[in-house]
Amino acid sequence: MLVAGLIVAAVFLLKAQEAGAPPPGPGGRNPAAEAAHAAAAERGRALFKDNCSACHAEDATGGRGPDLIRSTLVRHDKSGDLVGPVVANGRIEKGMPAFTSLTSGQVGDIAAFLQAQITLFDLHTRFGPYPNDIPAERLATGTVEAGKAYFDSHCSSCHSPTGDLAGIAKKYNPPDLEVRFLYPSGAPTTAVVTLPSGEKFEGVLQLNDGFYVGIQGKDGWYHSWPAKSVKVEVHDPLAAHAALLEKYTNADMHNLFTYLETLK
Amino acid sequence: MKRFAVLILFACLAAARVPAQELDPGKILKPPTDTWPTYNGDYTGRRYSPLTQINRENVGSLTLAWAFQTHGRSLESMPIEVNGIMYISAGNEIWAVDARNGHQIWHFARPGAPVGGGNKGVAMWKDRLYMTTPDAQLLCVDARTGKMIWQIQVDDPALKAFGGVAPLVIRDHIIIGTSGDTADLPGFLESVDPMDGKIEWRWDAMPKKDDAVAWNSWPHDTNVSTRGGGMTWITGTYDPQLNLLYWGTGNPHPVENSEARVGANLYTCTIVALNPDTGKLVWYFQSSPHDTHDWDTVMTPVLFDGTFKGKPRKMLAQANKNGLFFVLDRTNGKALISEAFVPANWVKGYDDRGQPIPDPDREPKPDGVLVTGGVGTNWQAPSYDPETGLFYVNSRETMGVFYLTMPGKSAEGWAGRDFFLGSKSMLKAIDVQTGKIRWTADTEGRGGQSGILTTAGHLVFTADMSQNLVALDASTGKVLWHMYPGGSLGTGPITYELDGRQYVVFLDDSVAYAFALPLSPAHEAVESRSSHAASNP
Repeated sequence: MLVAGLIVAAVFLLKAQEAGAPPPGPGGRNPAAEAAHAAAAERGRALFKDNCSACHAEDATGGRGPDLIRSTLVRHDKSGDLVGPVVANGRIEKGMPAFTSLTSGQVGDIAAFLQAQITLFDLHTRFGPYPNDIPAERLATGTVEAGKAYFDSHCSSCHSPTGDLAGIAKKYNPPDLEVRFLYPSGAPTTAVVTLPSGEKFEGVLQLNDGFYVGIQGKDGWYHSWPAKSVKVEVHDPLAAHAALLEKYTNADMHNLFTYLETLK
Repeated sequence: MKRFAVLILFACLAAARVPAQELDPGKILKPPTDTWPTYNGDYTGRRYSPLTQINRENVGSLTLAWAFQTHGRSLESMPIEVNGIMYISAGNEIWAVDARNGHQIWHFARPGAPVGGGNKGVAMWKDRLYMTTPDAQLLCVDARTGKMIWQIQVDDPALKAFGGVAPLVIRDHIIIGTSGDTADLPGFLESVDPMDGKIEWRWDAMPKKDDAVAWNSWPHDTNVSTRGGGMTWITGTYDPQLNLLYWGTGNPHPVENSEARVGANLYTCTIVALNPDTGKLVWYFQSSPHDTHDWDTVMTPVLFDGTFKGKPRKMLAQANKNGLFFVLDRTNGKALISEAFVPANWVKGYDDRGQPIPDPDREPKPDGVLVTGGVGTNWQAPSYDPETGLFYVNSRETMGVFYLTMPGKSAEGWAGRDFFLGSKSMLKAIDVQTGKIRWTADTEGRGGQSGILTTAGHLVFTADMSQNLVALDASTGKVLWHMYPGGSLGTGPITYELDGRQYVVFLDDSVAYAFALPLSPAHEAVESRSSHAASNP
């Protein structure tokens, strides 16, 4: 029942299966509102730095004053309705002065910044959109020479830095490039199906679950057979990647990335 | 002769339908036959039924008895069945369904609550149902009418807490856990009064000062030991003789960051044994000390008795998300077996308690680290068959790349990112005497993992990752029956017998499918359409 090459899809399923993610918020995306919120959060960042960061730190994780990322009050805040009174009145008994000069619009911007920081800390890494926030320098900790040597001995029978991989580092952001060379997806698995009569069908493998075999034939039509009634030869063009995946050391990975990142 | 059989059957039907429909508490103490009254069928978590009507000789002729449509609600819950009524849940909804024929009895939709969201199942106490919701409420619903009796807030959704875990009923205690894995959030178990939801006790996964072992397993130069982890998001098990409740806890926070929380980080990634009357910890076994890979330990702790190396033992087995299989003495938490069931390169060795020692070289790094063993299995329930002595688990072999994206001591929430590349999926049958794998069955495909049911019919029921429902020979792993229902099996199958007919029920996407053997002539006679509906004067 092995269908190699379809497996990176499982990456997302592994995540989706965790705990059962909570339902999405009401409504769909609203780009205009999102842009306005992002602009408010940026204004809020500057205001927060000037007025609040001495105690709460620039990223709001706290210092002399409390951590606002984990603050229950901040997390329940809607557009400054809870944060506003604390800013305006201070918490004198705990050593926080009142910030009477901030306008309600400015408090709203600070509240927007805090919500953005909460999202950043909560979703920095995981369920958010596929972010491009791992810079190449962080991943390129190997050497170009060692990476090239690895490439020449393990990859060059299928790939060329001046051919199919020319400019590859421009095409993908750093973590995508690394994940793709470790285990690419997208190249379809093909199969040759031989019927009892000896007739052969060749095409892209669509189904191979041990019970049925289905291919999209060269004629463009889909065909399927009970698996036991036919002989199937599967060709996975990414099989070499799957075999290499089990053999990489961390150093191989870092060296290869460092080399591939030069292909711009 | 035929008429006689029909009369007997009618008598049985009449007898079966007379008693009250509420749950007899003694039912959860016995292996499930005519009921499946709790998340795993009984307290042991074995998910093993003594029913034999469907067996390896006849399972090939299994046929659809009925189907129930939720009309699009995604189901990842375990149904329960009590006195001929099945209760199926999702998000903020419950459906009561006639377990003989799939007809809806009532539908509960919590007033004002959004549609959708995950749920793992309901619990039943007498004539009441209990469920936890996406906004972390505990609901109490009248099982006769589907009307809500009360709801209480059990955790804070603003801290990204959510519900869904099926509660566990122990005598007059409703035991609940909680979920959440984005913000730092402390995990706990609570026991509430079934009448009014009043909290009876609370056990916290975060350490307390008077518990030196746990307290000293965290740094205290920051407040990290108060902040979180150890979520309790899959239903535990219970031993009534020892009066011990067993439950697994989730990963510590900040996730995937080592530096911020040097130490073992108790009681995260731990199997705990608690007294269910007081919530006091009796023993613990930490299956991932100082976890930096999001290896939750919530997978079902499965309980069974037997001989181990010539000595009678009360045992507890768990196949963990970290790729390791453990058999413990459940009276004291001492490990009898600690053994990888998939390659797991993050393990350096085992300590004298049988707990793994993590390899610091496999902790997430800014430039990435390759790690095997991850998501060796997940929360979908395994099963143990006392006849074969085999523990069945749907497993995966993966290669993970772990990046530390938020280094340092001020990290919060998710401080790393992981990608799982490649995945070989197999159903593995593990010998509980040795921890060695007796057989494997390929379950490859694009879908998700499923839970497992075993029966005395010498069968293993589950789904493969190509989304086929399958029945396998429990001794050999040979596929004896399969069915492609077009969706995916979110949890595990259940089974029960009513009026002499055994059903196996799968919740697949938004539909419940009940399979049974073709009707016997006696059943045909009873269940054929009565004349008032068929005649045309």
